Amino acid sequence: MAKAHRIELLQGTLDLLILRTLVFGPSHGHAIAKQIKSVSQDVLQVETGSLYPALHRLEAQGWIDSEWQNSDKGKRAKYYRLTRAGRRQLVAEQSKWEQLSIAMARVLRPAEEG
Amino acid sequence: VSLRLLYARLRSLGRRRRRDADLDEEIRFHLEEEASELQESGVSWDHARSAATRDFGNVALIRETTREVWGWGSLDRLIQDVRYGCRSLAGTPIVSIVAILSLALGIGANTAIFSVLETLILRSLPVDSPSELVLLDDGRGRRPHWTNPIWEEIKSRPGLFDGAFAVSTTQFNLAVRGETEIVDGLWASGTMFDVLGVPAIVGRTLTPEDDRPGGGPGGPVAVISHAFWQQRFGGAADVIGRSLTVERVPFTIVGVTPAWFFGVDVGRTFDIAVPVGAATLIRGPGALKGRSSWWLRIMFRLKPGQEPDAATVLLRSLQPQIREATLPDDWHPGTLERYLREPFRVEPAANGDSSIRQRYRRPLTTIMVVVGLVLLIACANLANLLLARASARRQELSVRIALGASRLRVVRQLLTESLILSCVGACLGLAIAHWGSRLLVNQLSIAGRPVFLDLSLDWTILAFTAAAAVATTAVFGIAPAMRAVRVQPNDVLKSRARTVTGEGGFGAGHVLVIVQVAVSLVLLVGAGLFVRTFSSLAHLNLGFDDRPVLVASVQTSGTRLEPARLGALLQQLLAAAAGVPGVSSAGLSMITPLSNNTWNNLVEVPTAPHLSREERLVHFNNVGVGWFGTYGTPILAGRDFATTDALGSPPVAIVNEAFARRFTGGRNPLGIRVRQPWGIDREIVGYVKDAVYESLRDPVPPTLYIPLGQDPDPPGTIDVAVRASAASPLLLTKPLANALTAVHPDLLVTLRPLSDNVEAALQQERLVALLSGFFGALALLLSALGLYGVTSYAVMRRRAEIGVRIALGAAPARVVRLVLRRTLVLVVVGTCAGAAASVWASQFVSPLLFGVQPRDADTLLSAIIVLALIAAIAGWVPARSASRLDPARILREG
Repeated sequence: MAKAHRIELLQGTLDLLILRTLVFGPSHGHAIAKQIKSVSQDVLQVETGSLYPALHRLEAQGWIDSEWQNSDKGKRAKYYRLTRAGRRQLVAEQSKWEQLSIAMARVLRPAEEG
Repeated sequence: VSLRLLYARLRSLGRRRRRDADLDEEIRFHLEEEASELQESGVSWDHARSAATRDFGNVALIRETTREVWGWGSLDRLIQDVRYGCRSLAGTPIVSIVAILSLALGIGANTAIFSVLETLILRSLPVDSPSELVLLDDGRGRRPHWTNPIWEEIKSRPGLFDGAFAVSTTQFNLAVRGETEIVDGLWASGTMFDVLGVPAIVGRTLTPEDDRPGGGPGGPVAVISHAFWQQRFGGAADVIGRSLTVERVPFTIVGVTPAWFFGVDVGRTFDIAVPVGAATLIRGPGALKGRSSWWLRIMFRLKPGQEPDAATVLLRSLQPQIREATLPDDWHPGTLERYLREPFRVEPAANGDSSIRQRYRRPLTTIMVVVGLVLLIACANLANLLLARASARRQELSVRIALGASRLRVVRQLLTESLILSCVGACLGLAIAHWGSRLLVNQLSIAGRPVFLDLSLDWTILAFTAAAAVATTAVFGIAPAMRAVRVQPNDVLKSRARTVTGEGGFGAGHVLVIVQVAVSLVLLVGAGLFVRTFSSLAHLNLGFDDRPVLVASVQTSGTRLEPARLGALLQQLLAAAAGVPGVSSAGLSMITPLSNNTWNNLVEVPTAPHLSREERLVHFNNVGVGWFGTYGTPILAGRDFATTDALGSPPVAIVNEAFARRFTGGRNPLGIRVRQPWGIDREIVGYVKDAVYESLRDPVPPTLYIPLGQDPDPPGTIDVAVRASAASPLLLTKPLANALTAVHPDLLVTLRPLSDNVEAALQQERLVALLSGFFGALALLLSALGLYGVTSYAVMRRRAEIGVRIALGAAPARVVRLVLRRTLVLVVVGTCAGAAASVWASQFVSPLLFGVQPRDADTLLSAIIVLALIAAIAGWVPARSASRLDPARILREG
């Protein structure tokens, strides 16, 4: 039960992180993972086992789409790009996340004080 | 929306190969990217590569979960399971084919027999509220026919029930002269169609108005069946009002009945239905008045809420009046008293009335049990095969579990394979059932009386097949599946092929083989008994030669000759028949043996006065000069009838051995006098060998033959038998028909070889022998396969051990013994159980047997020998191959 709950939370978070990363332009899976890792200063480690299913899920939902392009090293790579629907979803998710973190903070703060 | 979604998914299924390749490339790119970054930080390429792979995780698993995201997970998995299942089944083609075929035969045979059983015995009539229908019965166990006077008494008391009708199944001849043209007919009271709720699809049905003696206001009318309408009139719309000659009487067609209506006699159908009242036109002016002419079934429709018991009580209260008003006039007083006392009662008749149901109930039920057991063996066999197969695949399954497949997934995979087997088996089975049930119905038909059953597949049969398939899958699918997932992948992978774990499952296999052996022994014994029954009946001494004899039934009533002239006509017929080239002799008789016509009556023999009434009941036949010679029945003493035995000469008779046994204690009966009930004293002048009269199974009855020449009132139909001198009597058919019809233009002739009658009398036994023999052989084959499978499995499992033994110097014979010892134990235990079961089960089939005891030791012994022989071969083949194993190779494998 607890395990399932955590996976669900992680999944939602990962989706948000991916959408956010893609705001800066199209990118491939490996770069996305690296980006998240470096921006979060190595706090957030993206499991490849979750990354690819998440990418494909977001694509199926129409929030991102993909295209095969040559990478900067000249190899063929699958680049993901945010769609218009994805942008809307990002805004919605982001505000939901912010509300959640404010609420979490409110709940947790009295405990710190007490 | 969901349709669009489904469409999108189906489209994406089509693109699936490309997407798979894309995903692979995406993952490969990721790994290379990771590796090249690591390399840049100074790690060697090989190390970088393996570190990247390690970091990435389980590639196969990630690929799998990503694929699931594509949205058609469950459908995809199913398709994958099915594809994989098909591939793995194709990998072991022999096992799969055996499994599918045995299932198909098991399911097919069960469905076929059940279809026939259901249609013939269980199914309700396709009419309005069939459960309200009841049949008038006399409680003597055989569904009786009633006289028309009784029917008229009942008809004159409306309001007892919601309706009443009388009906009789018959055959009508449509030809006016020459060879007869026989169709199925129905005598129906004018109320029948209304009470049953059967409408006409064209025109109208029969009404009480039509059902008057001699025909209704518009003359005699008839209703025809849908099939007859199509076949005879091509479905013509203007069929109403057309004339149809039935038994030389012109009828006007007033309506066509629906295609689903076949009457109330299950197993028969009708082409033409005419009112009961028209009997005066067809069967003579007195046809409706006969108080001892029993030819009608009487049925009622109960009022809503009226119970059959209440109906019986109601009828009992009316019984004295009805019986009193319909007393047969020429009966013995004692018999009349019984007639008055015989109670009326009603029997539920929702499933109609059937003349063949009683005859086939036990044979069909027996065969149903047989095919049920065959299905059981087939299932056991499959369970065994799949058990062995799952064991052989433990390695593979362990690899799959180790690679991250969930146990549920593996179980589902195995279940899918079983489902594929049972679905393919069930589909094939349905085809076999479709074909087999028709074949079976054809086999039920006898010459001249086709059996008609409306065998369209209905939900009961479909449900039955589906249940058989699902139950079978459950039986043989779950056992191996449960066993397979208990495996610890590590253990299996470590122990490689030489594992000896899993004894429990193999124990189940042993039990299955014992059951198979036991059940097939029971089936073999049954088949042996039925085949011997058929053989004793087929080789029965008939007392006449059926092969060379052709019988022509000649209907003389069309000539409208006076009785005196009719005698001369019979002489002409005899001369004409004897004159046909290829005929060695000819003879006339009123009754042809095994033709379902019987004539019996009481006689008095003054020299044997002590005999009871029942003992004095003997069979009669009216035969002409040369009849015994034509049939080949030997005359033991005295003489044949002669042309001098005519009206006015002293009355004579010929008797058979059974007659002599009963009335003279087996002594020569010549010269003894016999008195017929109407007072004629006859002297016995001839003594002939016993000959079959109406049934092969019953002992030959005491028979009294009287000369046709001394009959003052010759019968309306005479049978002319001819004996072919050399070739088949069938070649005489045309010349004989021509010769006979040339005698008088208004004669009607029906020809049929005498052997047809014998075949018809044997037909039930032939059917049972054929089916039980076939399924017995099938059961034996399946059990042999089961034994073979278990033994080869044992050999495979013990390869290493056997290899060591051979390497240490064990002789081949010793290895064979080692392997066979186990098989032998299984066979012995199975045979003992089977023998005990056969002895117990034999009591149920004894009514079907003839000329063989239900616990016949020879049959049991032969069955055991056959089984042992087959079992020995099935066990010896793998044992022999075990003894030829190359020890060096096996030991290297380990």
